[in-house]
Amino acid sequence: MSTVALTDPVIDELRGILGPENVLIGKAARYNRTRVPAPFPVHRWSEYVPEVVVLPENTQHVSEIVKLANTYRIPVVPRGGGTGLSDGAVPLRKGILLDIKRMNKIIEIDLENRTVTVQPGINMLKLNQDLRKYNVFYPDDPASYPCSIVGGRIGTSGFSLIAGRYGHTRDLVVSMQVVLPTGEIIEVGDGGGRKIRKSSTGFNLKNLFIGHQGSLGICTEATLELVPRPEVEMAAFFGYPDFETAYKSTGALAKSGLASLASVVLFDEKKVEYLRRDDEAYIPQPPEIRSVIATAMYGTVDEVRPAAKRFLKIARDTGGKYLGDEVSQGDWASRHDRYATPLHGRLLNKQVVPMSWHCEDASINYTFIPQVMKEWHEIAGKYIEKFGIFDDWGCFFYSNSAYKPWGDYLAEIDIGIWEQKMDEENWAAWVECKREITRVSLKYQGSITSCHGSSREGDAEFVPVEMGGGFEVMKRIKKALDPNNIMNPGKNMLDQAYEEE
Amino acid sequence: MAEDRDDIQKFIEKWRDSAYGCFSSGHKFCREVCPVMQVTRNENHSPTAFHANIVAMEKGGLTLTDIAQDYVHCTLCGACELRCPNTLFTGDFYRHRTQTVKLVKAVRALAAASGIEQPNWKRWVEATVDRKNEPVLEVPVEQEHVADWAKGLDIPIGGETILFCDCEAAFYRTSVPRATAMMLKKAGVDFGLMREQWCCGGPAAEMGYVDHARSFAEHNIADWSAVGAKKIITLDPHDYITFTEDYPEFFGEDYDFEIVHITELVAELIREGRLELSREIRRVVTYHDPCRLNKRKGIYESPREILRSIPGLTFRDTDHVTQWSYCSGAGGGFSVERPDLAREISRRRMQRASELEVDTLVSACVWSERPLSASGREHNPGIEIRDLMELVAEAAGLDYGGVTR
Repeated sequence: MSTVALTDPVIDELRGILGPENVLIGKAARYNRTRVPAPFPVHRWSEYVPEVVVLPENTQHVSEIVKLANTYRIPVVPRGGGTGLSDGAVPLRKGILLDIKRMNKIIEIDLENRTVTVQPGINMLKLNQDLRKYNVFYPDDPASYPCSIVGGRIGTSGFSLIAGRYGHTRDLVVSMQVVLPTGEIIEVGDGGGRKIRKSSTGFNLKNLFIGHQGSLGICTEATLELVPRPEVEMAAFFGYPDFETAYKSTGALAKSGLASLASVVLFDEKKVEYLRRDDEAYIPQPPEIRSVIATAMYGTVDEVRPAAKRFLKIARDTGGKYLGDEVSQGDWASRHDRYATPLHGRLLNKQVVPMSWHCEDASINYTFIPQVMKEWHEIAGKYIEKFGIFDDWGCFFYSNSAYKPWGDYLAEIDIGIWEQKMDEENWAAWVECKREITRVSLKYQGSITSCHGSSREGDAEFVPVEMGGGFEVMKRIKKALDPNNIMNPGKNMLDQAYEEE
Repeated sequence: MAEDRDDIQKFIEKWRDSAYGCFSSGHKFCREVCPVMQVTRNENHSPTAFHANIVAMEKGGLTLTDIAQDYVHCTLCGACELRCPNTLFTGDFYRHRTQTVKLVKAVRALAAASGIEQPNWKRWVEATVDRKNEPVLEVPVEQEHVADWAKGLDIPIGGETILFCDCEAAFYRTSVPRATAMMLKKAGVDFGLMREQWCCGGPAAEMGYVDHARSFAEHNIADWSAVGAKKIITLDPHDYITFTEDYPEFFGEDYDFEIVHITELVAELIREGRLELSREIRRVVTYHDPCRLNKRKGIYESPREILRSIPGLTFRDTDHVTQWSYCSGAGGGFSVERPDLAREISRRRMQRASELEVDTLVSACVWSERPLSASGREHNPGIEIRDLMELVAEAAGLDYGGVTR
């Protein structure tokens, strides 16, 4: 698809819709809305700069902007917190960057029917600060909890660290208001009714509008689940002499069937080595601890106390050593920002350099974890040796399924990349490394991405492979809803929907 | 004046590595604690953008002209530096603290030197140069009246310890320095005033006019040296920053004065029994952590210690970490250029106080007291803004007088 250059009349029309203060054409405004924390081809920054930034404040604004864009065939890229670890919010075809952060109001708190309705630009930490006085909370808890926002969580179908108990974003969104690529405003839920959780009427459209990376429309209001604030958050960390034992113990803990179990996270040996690089990255453990499991239980005192007793026994019986309250509580409390800071980056000669962070987030079944981990580290090792700008920060495996934290895991290999050395050759090397990692996930019947989305090079080209016949349906839906391919074009290989005529 | 390529290049080289520390992370944990960003919700004003711009300049994507205006949008409160995972979780080990405040000041200075000036800052600094004191709005400011607040208190000129009274307190809210001076005298602390006190120069430095800031600093240091001063007591957290950060940067090792903030000194006086607080104050209060004390200097215990030692007071505290995301809106020249946004920051701070159902908000920063009072009068008429030193003097049974606005 060719990009239509924005003309002054379009800018004027946008100003007419939003008021001049909400239409930004300055270069800095546009440059700062191109990148996300994922590794970025910084040497090619200028290729991703949108032509105009708009800051809508309500649904009507969004609808008018999208109608205008559809009339003139101008790409629209919705952007939330810009904290994603894939390229959902990166404008590949320039156009209009629609920044939703000014849509951050709480519209209604319904304590009887247990919902809160918000605009999508609100951050979860801020939302929960306001909900605290009602003794309820919105339990969507990603690593980016202090900075990501509800709209981005919906656009990417986010992963919550405590989903074993409370569910992920898609389980916590009851219904939404969505502006379609043609500008119509619709309500989607399980059926009708903003606060209805279960329905058999019609198609279940809600999930179609979660995780589409802004390619099918823009969420402008969301009605979210409220749950009672837990009386107890019991974190328990266990140490193991080797990965093999910890892996088996992970399986046993995850399958315990205890309803208050919110999360099981397995750290492989490379991850523990990485965390030993300095004394703040992780509370130091004796050398015989080479693999770790972090767990957390949430709920009432009456639930968690007896469950924890049984849980600790399972851990002990499968070779785990409880690492104590200080490590468990302290490390769980700092789970949002402890693990990936650029300063932990090391070159092969041990030199410290600031590295940006690639976080792989494949979904892998339990039985394939050891093999996938082994192959991923081999791939990383090869590129570290050859290019001198990469670093292997180890693997995490998070229980992936909502309410039933067993069976499959969000498998994460963290790779540091020295972005200051980024050029065409290094970027190509990185994308090739990424492709090799992705191929392993697919080889073992996994999914490319549990939560970041498959919107970047190294992932996107595998979407048709992973989706199979479903990809044909995706293309038909995309074209039916977005006849002019204006919504976040270039993502997920969906351009193919328009090439086959 | 056009952008000087050599100056820009030197600037980029100086700040690039530090900028990559943020750029490589890119997590933006700073965004929701930033008082300005919370109000504007404009990514350009995020601390992350302030660093990313430097990388974009290095890559040739942005120029100083493209970015200068955005750097007005900062109160220099320092919340972003504390909330940065690089500072929080690797800071001690790598001796690293994300430096956003210094970066913002550096960009403002480069902009001013390159002829990219902000009209209200320019006027403010010109008036300060003209009158040797900041043009504190609504009241006349003249050098000859800089010590009028001390009338009748019989404070000597000079001595080893100098009480430095900033412009806002000297001309606008004179109850604060009067309360402080009387209380210090009661506690037996020997101190004097400067022969001729000028503005500390901090605001000029914050607005980018470093040469002017330095000339104020030179005058003040000469005055201190002439009277043999060794120790300077500051009332105002902004002065405290200027004397502990800007002056050492200007003069290096030659600069050798002990700088004390009043809350630290008063807490010590109370602790040692030298200042007795016996008059009950029947108020329900909360405390506003001044950004420069709490976020930039880590001073948050002494004001609380003082409040807890005042008899009769009911103290409803909001912890100092929660207050990383609070601000009065007054700092860093922000309110001079963007009074509309600063007012909204003040309103939100007062809203937080009103949720605690208090009748008084106590601050330890005289600059915060005017915008918070103004906001309170408009939105929360049941809440009075008092300076911590005013309450201490009252509890010590002193009738300090002066003007409280």
